[in-house]
Amino acid sequence: MSMTCHNLDFSRTVLDVVACGCYLNATFNRSSVRNYAKSSCKSRSRGHGGGIDVCRRRGIARCRVSSTRTPETLRNEVAQGPPPVFELKKGSRSPISLTNLFEVVAEDLGTLNQNLQNIVGAENPLLMSAAEQIFGAGGKRMRPALVFLVSRATAELVGLKELTMKHRRLAEIIEMIHTASLIHDDVLDDSDIRRGKETVHQLYGTRVAVLAGDFMFAQSSWYLANLENLEVIKLISQVIKDFASGEIKQASSLFDCDVELEEYLIKSYYKTASLIAASTKGAAIFSGVDSDVCQKMYEYGKNLGLSFQVIDDILDFTQSAEQLGKPAGSDLVKGNLTAPVIFALEKDPKLRDIIESEFSEPNSLDEAIGLVKSSGGIERAQELAKEKAYLAIQNLQCLPQGAFRLALEDMVMFNLERID
Amino acid sequence: MSMTCHNLDFSRTVLDVVACGCYLNATFNRSSVRNYAKSSCKSRSRGHGGGIDVCRRRGIARCRVSSTRTPETLRNEVAQGPPPVFELKKGSRSPISLTNLFEVVAEDLGTLNQNLQNIVGAENPLLMSAAEQIFGAGGKRMRPALVFLVSRATAELVGLNLLYTRELTMKHRRLAEIIEMIHTASLIHDDVLDDSDIRRGKETVHQLYGTRVAVLAGDFMFAQSSWYLANLENLEVIKLISQVIKDFASGEIKQASSLFDCDVELEEYLIKSYYKTASLIAASTKGAAIFSGVDSDVCQKMYEYGKNLGLSFQVIDDILDFTQSAEQLGKPAGSDLVKGNLTAPVIFALEKDPKLRDIIESEFSEPNSLDEAIGLVKSSGGIERAQELAKEKAYLAIQNLQCLPQGAFRLALEDMVMFNLERID
Repeated sequence: MSMTCHNLDFSRTVLDVVACGCYLNATFNRSSVRNYAKSSCKSRSRGHGGGIDVCRRRGIARCRVSSTRTPETLRNEVAQGPPPVFELKKGSRSPISLTNLFEVVAEDLGTLNQNLQNIVGAENPLLMSAAEQIFGAGGKRMRPALVFLVSRATAELVGLKELTMKHRRLAEIIEMIHTASLIHDDVLDDSDIRRGKETVHQLYGTRVAVLAGDFMFAQSSWYLANLENLEVIKLISQVIKDFASGEIKQASSLFDCDVELEEYLIKSYYKTASLIAASTKGAAIFSGVDSDVCQKMYEYGKNLGLSFQVIDDILDFTQSAEQLGKPAGSDLVKGNLTAPVIFALEKDPKLRDIIESEFSEPNSLDEAIGLVKSSGGIERAQELAKEKAYLAIQNLQCLPQGAFRLALEDMVMFNLERID
Repeated sequence: MSMTCHNLDFSRTVLDVVACGCYLNATFNRSSVRNYAKSSCKSRSRGHGGGIDVCRRRGIARCRVSSTRTPETLRNEVAQGPPPVFELKKGSRSPISLTNLFEVVAEDLGTLNQNLQNIVGAENPLLMSAAEQIFGAGGKRMRPALVFLVSRATAELVGLNLLYTRELTMKHRRLAEIIEMIHTASLIHDDVLDDSDIRRGKETVHQLYGTRVAVLAGDFMFAQSSWYLANLENLEVIKLISQVIKDFASGEIKQASSLFDCDVELEEYLIKSYYKTASLIAASTKGAAIFSGVDSDVCQKMYEYGKNLGLSFQVIDDILDFTQSAEQLGKPAGSDLVKGNLTAPVIFALEKDPKLRDIIESEFSEPNSLDEAIGLVKSSGGIERAQELAKEKAYLAIQNLQCLPQGAFRLALEDMVMFNLERID
């Protein structure tokens, strides 16, 4: 893998890169996660850094100082000027597959699936059908996998040998909350299709969808309370509050072309990153590690989540309907203006007109999608995603080297590869 | 007020009544709750009793032994044979009004209303409109009032004289707000689930603003209450209330799965009523006691009070769905029945009248079949038997209050029970 950096601050960039010993030509075998632990790791920086740090193996050079902070400061991280432009040239690296990535926690995920089916199915067959519709609809179990990976990685720090019941229960709670929010989201968005299958409310009606969602929220609240850890209870309750706030924010600003990037990031935090951050932090809490490490895990989850959301928003423009499992431009047509659109609106006044017309003209959606692409909105959004991805990698430095940390890094990279 | 008791166990009854010094002819002025504290209280039993106890002032004789237990034993309480038949004859007593009853906590309720508006309205104007639609739609604030009454009554037990001071703890107030938000959120979602157009004479949120706003408003309020609950930092109360939210969902599912099922038994109905109504009230009253710092025995009694009050309340609501007119109800009569939700009067009537079963199983496909069914429920004694069930639970609730000190707050809690009963007299 080689890396070229284009940036107006070229002199500063080169100095940064050289000073950190960045691997500009690292290559390695990606066929199995298990091999990761064996890959040789040369001189690398272990410090948290004030900011002058380079991702050890991924060849992402960081060309500006940034730090990881709380959501209120999301806007500061954005406002530091245009992000640098990166090019990652692929060498002999094969694409990361989630199956490989999750292999180290495959057994944990199997147990989780079984427990989830039991929890939901035991109550009522109708609910079970609704839950299967969404549980079985190609969900990646990314969030529980993150809980298991962080649990195991942080456990090494304190010599903990096995995952605890609380770790497992946390993963189940997280997946139930995520699933419940999807079911209600589809009602709120009036969506017919998710991951190529009909949505719960399309198939069983709004009432079953509301009920199934309520049931899963309720179950997760109850399990959460019975974990008897006030810090985690407050953490997850904050997430549920953030979900609702995010939905409201989104619903209130549809077709609003004055929306700013910071608002978009806050909404993305509420809707996506908040849950992931709480998952990773919660896992660390149950491992019993330092609050510093817990906070780093929170930041990792937050930055991963933001990167993930921006990438999702990019793909809504760049992928076809078959790939997406739903129609393309589905956010845009509803007036939900995401990163590519917000960047494009800075450049193209015609786009504003089309959006404000709420796509009343035939073919106006296709025209708008074209304008977003031609005005560089996609590229700028890609940079934003990479920026957050870099921060996430940085947050992992407090973890011991090993298969689990590697998998967590690969989780970041896997997302990025979706937009390469 | 005089009381006549009709029961096959007449001999036992009279002995019970006489032995306890029941006030069979107590009368008093009801014009203001403040007077309650001054009313003279003659010889009365303060003990918890094994069961041989009589409601001091209300003239309800208890003619069979019963005890208060957990929901799993709801069915046992029912299975002890047909409940006795009571008659309450009104003397010079004027009907209890909720306004009077809540007067001792009027200021607390005012603060609550203000806080609720702030919590919900601060987020978004659209949500505020939806919330006003339901908050402003004649809600009685019964559950928060219960929290405040129990808070103040139990506080006296531990020497916190809150009667004449204004200061309930922040946690008590927050608990009341949480309870009312959960209740309101469940109403909004219930109306979506039931596809109801009218509640309390006004349009429902989802009729007015659409399903999406209704789902969102409900989710928001559930989320807010979970967050406030977590920040109360009391694990016992957190678990208590989380159980309620779980019970709500279970109750809805139970109900949705057994529509038009004429084989439904009374115990299932009671469990569903517990999940949907009594669970929240029981958690409110117990939570209030927990935050007052009283004994766990007293907390448990407050739980039982809330549970029995809630069950009585639900049975009465179900009776009124048959006996009141649409104007009184604020929605069409027989609305549970037409959806296939079979409640106490129907369950009792089904034991007597096979024709009713046929009509229900036809799901009211014939014109006028609903009116016919309502008529059959009334003519087969279903209403009367449901009334007895309500009174049975009411009696248990009064009994649960005996651990509380005499005073305006305990009286108001007793009157809450009686207020409900008067709705079916």
